This record gives sequence, structure tokens and C-alpha cells, in this order.
Amino acid sequence: MKILDIALKDILRSLRNYFFLGFGLGVPILMGVIFYFAFGGLASEDGFEIAQVEVLIVNRDEPLAEYDGFSAGKILADFLQSEELAGLLAATEAASAADARAAVDNQEADVAVIIPADLSTAAFDPQGKAEVEIYHDPTLTIGPGIVTSIVTQFMDTLVGSKIAAGVAYDQLTAQGATVDAMVLQNVATQYGEWSATLAESQGASPLLDIRSPAGKKEEEGNMALEMVGGVMTGMMVFYAFYTGAASAMGILQEEQDGTLPRLLTTPTPPSAILGGKLVSVFALVIVQVLVLMAFSSLIFKTEWGAPGPLSMAIVGLVVLAASFGIFIMSWLRDSKQAGVVIGGVMTVLGMVGISSVFTANVPGAEGGITEILPLFVPQGWAMRAWRLAIEGSTAGDVLPPFGVMLVLAAAFFAIGVLRFKKRFV
Amino acid sequence: MNENDNHLAIQAQDLHKNYGDVYAVQGVSFDVQVGEVFSLLGPNGAGKTTTISMVSCLLAPTQGDVRVMGHSVKSDPMAVKAAIGVVPQEIALYEDLSARENLTFWGKMYGLRGGALKQRVDEVLEVIGLDERQKGRVSKFSGGMQRRLNIGIALLHKPQVLILDEPTVGIDPQSRRNILDSVKELNHAGTTVLYTTHYMEEAQELSDRIAIMDHGKIIAYGTHEELVKIVGEMDRITLTINAESAKVIERWQATEGVEQVTAEDGTVELLVDDSNLVLPHLFETATQAGVRITSVDIQEPNLETVFLHLTGRALRD
Repeated sequence: MKILDIALKDILRSLRNYFFLGFGLGVPILMGVIFYFAFGGLASEDGFEIAQVEVLIVNRDEPLAEYDGFSAGKILADFLQSEELAGLLAATEAASAADARAAVDNQEADVAVIIPADLSTAAFDPQGKAEVEIYHDPTLTIGPGIVTSIVTQFMDTLVGSKIAAGVAYDQLTAQGATVDAMVLQNVATQYGEWSATLAESQGASPLLDIRSPAGKKEEEGNMALEMVGGVMTGMMVFYAFYTGAASAMGILQEEQDGTLPRLLTTPTPPSAILGGKLVSVFALVIVQVLVLMAFSSLIFKTEWGAPGPLSMAIVGLVVLAASFGIFIMSWLRDSKQAGVVIGGVMTVLGMVGISSVFTANVPGAEGGITEILPLFVPQGWAMRAWRLAIEGSTAGDVLPPFGVMLVLAAAFFAIGVLRFKKRFV
Repeated sequence: MNENDNHLAIQAQDLHKNYGDVYAVQGVSFDVQVGEVFSLLGPNGAGKTTTISMVSCLLAPTQGDVRVMGHSVKSDPMAVKAAIGVVPQEIALYEDLSARENLTFWGKMYGLRGGALKQRVDEVLEVIGLDERQKGRVSKFSGGMQRRLNIGIALLHKPQVLILDEPTVGIDPQSRRNILDSVKELNHAGTTVLYTTHYMEEAQELSDRIAIMDHGKIIAYGTHEELVKIVGEMDRITLTINAESAKVIERWQATEGVEQVTAEDGTVELLVDDSNLVLPHLFETATQAGVRITSVDIQEPNLETVFLHLTGRALRD
């Protein structure tokens, strides 16, 4: 219980400490934001809120006279302009596909939905095929995603109606019944109503074609965000080791302030005092990593990879950063020495460790010194595990650096604790 | 343990503390009775703090042992720590926490929990006069307020023995007065006090018994009266005269009750058995010799005199 009391006291003090708030959370976030602006991500994302998506509809669909003027294109256009979607979409009709594409290119609209002339025909022709084109700025992700999802739902329902009408036609004619257009339309309508009650279905429709403006690719559009994600990972690793060292420095600071000797005059076992301080070091690094991850996910849309490899990277970073901090501080005499070490040694080690963030895309860097050198410092192993995780590697891929991190952490922790116990207990 | 040991709050036996070739404490032994105020008096570097660090289980003795309320610091340090409250010389508080947060944390370290902890924190805040500033950050407190909180922490668990290490160093006279009064009140309430100081007046005012320390050893030990008897019961009279006269010096030396006379540059020092009896004769002799006494200073024997007598140095050197 006293271990937790001591840990909570230290955590409370750290959260009131400008050093932790500034260097542990503020600076890494600031660095990420600077990179984000530098790569233009913010300018193209319309801020951090989901704004109403500007949609231009070009409905070239020709109604089918034999089906009482049925037009799938009109239904889709009306749906996109319906009040139900008014909160999400600001949809208007454009005169031509060229005008709509030009408006998107000029950033006057976010998305253009271009409905082909044969959509209705394709809906009733068993061999028919038509493509609804969704044209958007590749640097935008949220708005086009919403429109794509809505159109996909519509198209799924349309395809389902078509299949249902086809099956009904085959069965009725096989039984000698006469099937006219009105019957098929009724079948399709009933299917549509039934389908509307089902859960939303996802996935590509054979009638759906999502295209980006000519000359740009979706991947290129996300490059800035991916780079910011890499930078945020580097910052997180870099500053997690700072936090580990700075938190462990609290042991030296308390010795200087006289509160540690005073604690030793209370009926609290020395092992509990040291244990409480170690718990606080781990807890603060965990808080820092989770806050930075959450921030990066929310603002920069960073994708951290699968839960398994990600968990290994988080655990490895936390235990290694905290243990390394304890290890380093156990060799120092007082907080003045610690200040020099944190300011100098940790900075150099950190820069070496995360250098792969900046050299990863350099031609010829793979397998070279820039990839090997970071592995001589603990930060380099943490960085390797994180890169593998965010690149979508499997748990098996992350296991080797994770194992090295655990072994290093165990060694640092054991040496640090032994030295502190010898000193205070 | 004999029957008398039951009345002993602290029993230090042949304590030694060495740091390599440096002997910080050498063979210190003393007893503190339950309910008394016992002071360790000595100049800086005398070994007082090292001694109470061993009593507080902060330092392990190189040799010897201390028993506090019957528990050995060597074999049962946790029981010793539960019995004592320590007020360190330097203020040892968490400045980024409030007064209440500090007291609550330290209370937990003394094993208090829940309602009992809250109640005791409230009581101590009132005792140290910080109940209205309980939510204020300690870093914003004055030196006197921090000193009071520093003492308050040691009172949280109602210790049987309160150990104060030079608690009045570097503070203003009013705060000093408050601390001395607090120590007296705590002692009257039954708390045994072990107090270290290099201020003779504090030791004299507070203590039932005093141990004078120098160079890691106890050089004298007893009540104030017992210590003063070391230098006898003579008064010291210092006279300033307008003209040095061999004749009057000779007559003063011959006066009954005067033990010793030394004169230098118009100042005459006399050691006398009783200044009240001797002083009229000194004035009469001076008048007869045509010598005028311009100032008189009478000093009864005190701890300063004792320390001077035993070491040849002043206490504050």
C-alpha cells in the first residue's frame, strides 16, 4: 500500500512539474505539429473537425420508359441531396462531369459524384455494367470516405435488387407465368425496402469506381501523414527515455531535499520506498506514451499497426525507458550531475537511436551504417520495434527487438536497483 | 533489562560512528528518561547530528547500540521508527504539494489511514496554526510556516519520543520562541524529547538534563545545576575602572570571598564566592583609594562557562 502511496505522490508531483508537462508531452507534440504543418497535412485537412462535405452531383442517367420512367441515377441524386444527409453533405447538381472535376481540382468542392447514363439500364440488364465515378482530392480522407460509404450502400442495394428481380423472373417464367416490367419493378422495390432494414454492408461494388484526379495517387496523398506518424514515433521514443531518466532523477532530488532521509526515519521499509519510486517511473512513461499515441491518432490519424505488435512495442519501450533511467541515475551523485547527463548524454543517445526516422528513405540506407548504428543504444531497439509495428509487421517480426528490449531492461533494472539499494537501504 | 530500564525512553551505549579514519562519534553513552527533555549541546561538528541519526535508524552504528522504548536500532529498527518522530535540521517537505497533502502523505508513511488519518491531519494543522493555509502550496509559505509544518509532520502519529535536530537554526526570534514553547507543551503532554542545539540558552531553558558534546564525545552530562558545579559556584565580576591602581588591586585580592583577581587595560576580572556579599566591599575600597568604578558586570556560572572551562574554547567557536 505504501508503495502505491509513494508512487501516487511522485506522479502527482510530476504532473505539477513543468519539466514533465513540457518535455514529456508538450515538446513531442509540438515537434509533430511542426512536421505536420511542414508537410502540408493540416492545410489540406480543413482543420480537425469533420466539416460538411461539398459534393457536386452529375446525373447523366437516362430514365427507362418501359419501367415507368424509373431512374436509379435520380434516386441516388435525390438521396445525396436529402435532408437526412444534410448534416454531412452539402450536395448540389453540376452541369457536366468536366465542370464537376474542375471544381474539385480548384478545391471549390470536395467530391464529385458522376452518375453514368446507363446506370438504370445496367440495373435491369443481367449482363449490364455501369460505373459511378467518385472524383476527389487525394489529400482528403474523411469527406470522400463518407461519400464513398453512402454511394456504396446505395449501389449494394441496387445490385441486390437486380439479382432479386433476375431470380424472380427465372422462377416465374419457369412456372409458366407472364412477367412484365411492372412485376419486376415491384420485386426490385420490395427487395430494396427489405435491404434497407438490414445492417449496412461494406465492400466494393462492381458498379462503383473510385478515381482520383489525374496525375495524383492516393498513396502520395497520405505520405505526409505517414511521415508525421514516423516523426511522432521518433519523438515518443526520444522523450520516453527523457521521462524515464527525469523521473528516476527524483530519487536523487529527494535525497538532496532531505525528504528521502526523512522517509527512512518512518516505519516504511526501505524496499517499499524504492519500489514506490520505481513504480512512479514506469507509470509516468506509460502515461506519456499513451497520451502521445492518443494525440497522434486523433490529430495526425497515425495508424499504429496491429494490436499484438503494437502492445509489444509499447511494453518494450516503457520497461526499457524506465529501467534505463533508473540505471543511469544510480551512477550519479546528485541532481546537478543528472541535469548534465539528461541534457547531454540522453540527447546524443536519443538522436542516434531515432536517426532511422530521418534516414529510412535515403537511397542505399537499408542495411548500412545508418541502420546498424542506432542498435548500439537502447533507443535504437525501441525505434526498431515501433517502426516494425507501424509498418504492419507481424508479432513474429517484432519479437526479436522486443526480446532484446526486455533483456536490456532487465539488466538495467537489476543493476540500477542494486546500486540504489546499496546506497539507501 | 532491569527495572530501571522501563523508565528509559532512550538508552545509548558506547556508540561509535567511523567514516574510514574519521571518527564522527566515539563512545557516546547516555540515557533519556521517559517524559524528560534531554539536550545534546555542542558546537557545529561536535557529533550531535550523527548521534541522533543513529538513534533515528538513519545511520548504523559502527559499534554500540541504542534502544528506544526498549527496541534496538540494530535488531528492530521498524519498532524504533514507529516510536519516534524526527524533525530534521533542514526543512524536508514536498514544496509542490500543499500543507494538507504533505501531512496526508507523511501520515500514511506512519501507518495512518482513512478517517483516523484525516482527523489527525486536521488536529495537527490546528496545532501548527496552518489550518487556514492547508491548501496552499508549501513553496509559497514563509520560512516560519515551513518550520511549523516540518515539526507538524513529526507529530502526526503521536510519537513517544520526539527528536529535534537544531530546529531553530536560521529562523527569526518569534518563530524560535514559538518552537521552544511548542516543545515545552509537547513535553508537558507527556512526549519525551531529544533535542540538539548549539544555543546554550535553549538547552538551559528546555532541558531536564544536558549532554555537552565536543569532537564526537560527551564531555559533561547532567542537569544544568550539576554541570555548573563543575566550575564551582563562583560568580564572575567584571569591573571597569577609571585608573588602574596596584594598591586597590592588592586590597581587592585581600578581601574576604574574593578568590582571584586579574587586571588588564582598566578592566578587572574577579572570581568571587558570592557577588552580593563582596560587591559593597569592592566599592568601599575603591572609594577609599580614589578610584572610580565606571561599570559592573556580574555573571553567574552557565553552560558557556562550563564549555569554556572544559575545552578552552567558546561554545560558538
